[in-house]
Amino acid sequence: MAPTLLELKDITRTFPGVVAMDDVSVAFRAGEIHAVIGENGAGKSTMMNLLAGELQPDAGSILIDGKPTPIRSPIASQKLGIRVVFQELSLCQNLTVGENVLLSDFAARPALSHLARRRSAQAAAATLRELGLTDLETDTPVSSLTVAQQQLVEIARAISHRARILVLDEPNSALSPRESQRLFDLVRALKQQGVTILYVSHHLDEVLALADRISVMRDGRLITTLDNGPDLTVDQLVAHMVGREVDAAEQYALRPEAHAHIGEPVLDVRDLSVPGHIEHVSFSLSRGEILGVAGLPDSGKDILADAVFGLAPRGGTVEIGGIRLAPGRPYHAIAAGMSLIPADRRAAGALLSMTVAENTVSAALRRFARAGFLRGRPIRNTAHEYVGKLDARIAGLGQKIATLSGGNQQKIILARGLVTGPRVLILHEPTRGIDVGAKAEIYAILKQLAAEGLAVLMVSSELPEIMLHSSRVIVMADRTIAGQLSGSDITEEAIMALATRKSERRAA
Amino acid sequence: MTDETGTGVGVKPAAVDRPAKRAAPARVPWLARLLTAKETGVFLALVCMCLFLAFATESFLTTTNLLNVGRQISLLGIMAVGMTFVLVAGEIDLSVGSIYALSGLATGMLVIAGWPLLPALVLGLMIGASIGLINGLMSTYGRLPSLIATLGMLSIVRGTALLLTDGQPVTVNERNGAHPDVLASFEFMGQGYLFGIVPMQLVFFILVAAIGWLVLSRTAFGFRVFAVGGSAKAARVSGIHVHSVKIWAFVIMGMLAALAGILSMAFLPSGQAGRTGLGLELDVIAAVVVGGASLSGGIGTIPGTVLGVLIIGVLRNGLVLMGVSPFMQEVMIGLVIIIAVAIDKWSMRSRAS
Repeated sequence: MAPTLLELKDITRTFPGVVAMDDVSVAFRAGEIHAVIGENGAGKSTMMNLLAGELQPDAGSILIDGKPTPIRSPIASQKLGIRVVFQELSLCQNLTVGENVLLSDFAARPALSHLARRRSAQAAAATLRELGLTDLETDTPVSSLTVAQQQLVEIARAISHRARILVLDEPNSALSPRESQRLFDLVRALKQQGVTILYVSHHLDEVLALADRISVMRDGRLITTLDNGPDLTVDQLVAHMVGREVDAAEQYALRPEAHAHIGEPVLDVRDLSVPGHIEHVSFSLSRGEILGVAGLPDSGKDILADAVFGLAPRGGTVEIGGIRLAPGRPYHAIAAGMSLIPADRRAAGALLSMTVAENTVSAALRRFARAGFLRGRPIRNTAHEYVGKLDARIAGLGQKIATLSGGNQQKIILARGLVTGPRVLILHEPTRGIDVGAKAEIYAILKQLAAEGLAVLMVSSELPEIMLHSSRVIVMADRTIAGQLSGSDITEEAIMALATRKSERRAA
Repeated sequence: MTDETGTGVGVKPAAVDRPAKRAAPARVPWLARLLTAKETGVFLALVCMCLFLAFATESFLTTTNLLNVGRQISLLGIMAVGMTFVLVAGEIDLSVGSIYALSGLATGMLVIAGWPLLPALVLGLMIGASIGLINGLMSTYGRLPSLIATLGMLSIVRGTALLLTDGQPVTVNERNGAHPDVLASFEFMGQGYLFGIVPMQLVFFILVAAIGWLVLSRTAFGFRVFAVGGSAKAARVSGIHVHSVKIWAFVIMGMLAALAGILSMAFLPSGQAGRTGLGLELDVIAAVVVGGASLSGGIGTIPGTVLGVLIIGVLRNGLVLMGVSPFMQEVMIGLVIIIAVAIDKWSMRSRAS
């Protein structure tokens, strides 16, 4: 057995009102892939922040090679050979791919040392080649890359410096299956070189495929550390995470029956196009239907929600109940009965500096104003009603939304989308970064809303989400619709077959 | 070396086999590089202005006038170089006009008090550097937005200058007690000509711009300024000491504002705490922004800033030569600032899409 490289000993870290880590002790061996799993709020991100030097423990110590080693700052963390890749991208958008890859390198140079641009570009190119990222040019501005490509650049940056300990937080959340596979190969290769890898993920099947050992956290405590082996199953991991057995069949039972209570068509999209992203997309959506949209990251599906809602410039027509919506006017879409729950909660979804109540009513302000003045009581009543309806766990209506967990934030954003009284609800990555429990609750809410007659359009990269909770599925590939599936035809195999195939229109 | 994974779509095998080829895009012909550079728009605007003035007025295109423009823009230019560092680092400094006044007046008073030139200069520069240091500390460890911290400092430093001089004008001459030799060297800094033709102020500006350009575009420190301004978080994660980079940008700014103030004092050679450099910070920021820097950080170059300074200088000079009223000049300069930045933004949008 390899010796212990990094050890957390009796670590406790509290935040106002929360014990984020409660007497956690865990050891990471040299050259192992050690997965850390747990629901949101379990303490994983606090652990990562301690290792990154962003936070200090209240009690307990961090040992490296058996010696107590406080990590007082991000710089100290870097010097110890620790690299943390957070899920939220942190790249300098004003710099090129090569410059971002070499950021850590340049950070360590003497201030007035000369930077040889051409040699740097070659060094960056060499790192990218090592990762098999030969399709990225070093002098491309990062701002022109897709999110998936940016994520790969971020990982390239972390490993360009020979790290001893690499911490990856949901590293493939924006990657296509093929890119993920490339990442897994890379992680295994790094392990061969003796790098210790902490792999934080919600994707339990990946964890089982990749990790040597798996630590499970719940409510700030380390529940157990398991040796990975052929006997270990996803269900067992989930049981440790939530503290009870969750029956897979129970989840499948939630699947909406196709054509159960589907009413008349309400949304009609004809010949939708966004230059450079999608072309000739046509579909319609009926009351009571949950229409899933699946596809690989470059399929164009990620612009679909914005395009239908009118945020992205578009061609073609979008009609809701026979009313044609003007592009570029989201308020028109809202007035006509459309709501969008965007993918990026922090950037596009929540008004982070505002309260739960303010966020809840922010899309329907006119209804809560008299002569331009907002009326407090109706706002509070409405917010209270929706918080209850969606079972959002909050300290009070005046709580800042930024302090809520991801799942509860998403519920408040969902509430905002519902306050306007929509006939069509568009969700983009509705459960990204949300824990298992909150996910299930959001699915139940969506199912309930559909049963009440709402038309739901759900664009998602998570296949299980699409498979289990859609009554019909559109699969996008190569900028347009590759095919449709419904009922028992909705299988992972069928979706992937459509998603990976060039569209017939192109082939013809 | 082969593409062992075989997974990469769109991989160019040639590039993998011959790594040297990868660097090729950097070797674009200089003319093409010049035409696609970010500064090209500003540069063309400057050329058009100069062409117009060359035909519209008789005196614009004369050596005397051009060197005169060079002298007039120098002090603004020296400060603009410092402001480029601050803006690229994602901060702003509103206190530079006050630093300009305080440092200049203090140095002038030291010369009057009979100090030798070098200690007087060093102290004057140190005043600027220290105020920059305080600005930097407040904006980083103090967690104040630099807009607010330096707005407060603008007032504090201006007030200090008023207290120091009791609001009275300071004039550096022999009658007031300056040593004749010291006075001669001091005045040479502000009024002299290198080789009898190039104004000393312009010499200082050229030196500052050249060093500033080297540091910002060719050194690790300059790179860190861009990284910090682009994404403070990414910079932190990469092990860059964000606070120290920002503090240094403020210190550089403070020192350059002090240098400009001292040169102004040496040129006139007098100043008054209530008037010297009043509102100068806005001219400086305008020049840098016209030169393509972004107020949200991460974007800006010294050549761009120099062009921005030239545009404002040439414009002012041209308006004077054409006999436009001083009141109208202000209106015109305001318009040019807005138009220049608007063109920059719009062209950027079209490039992005």
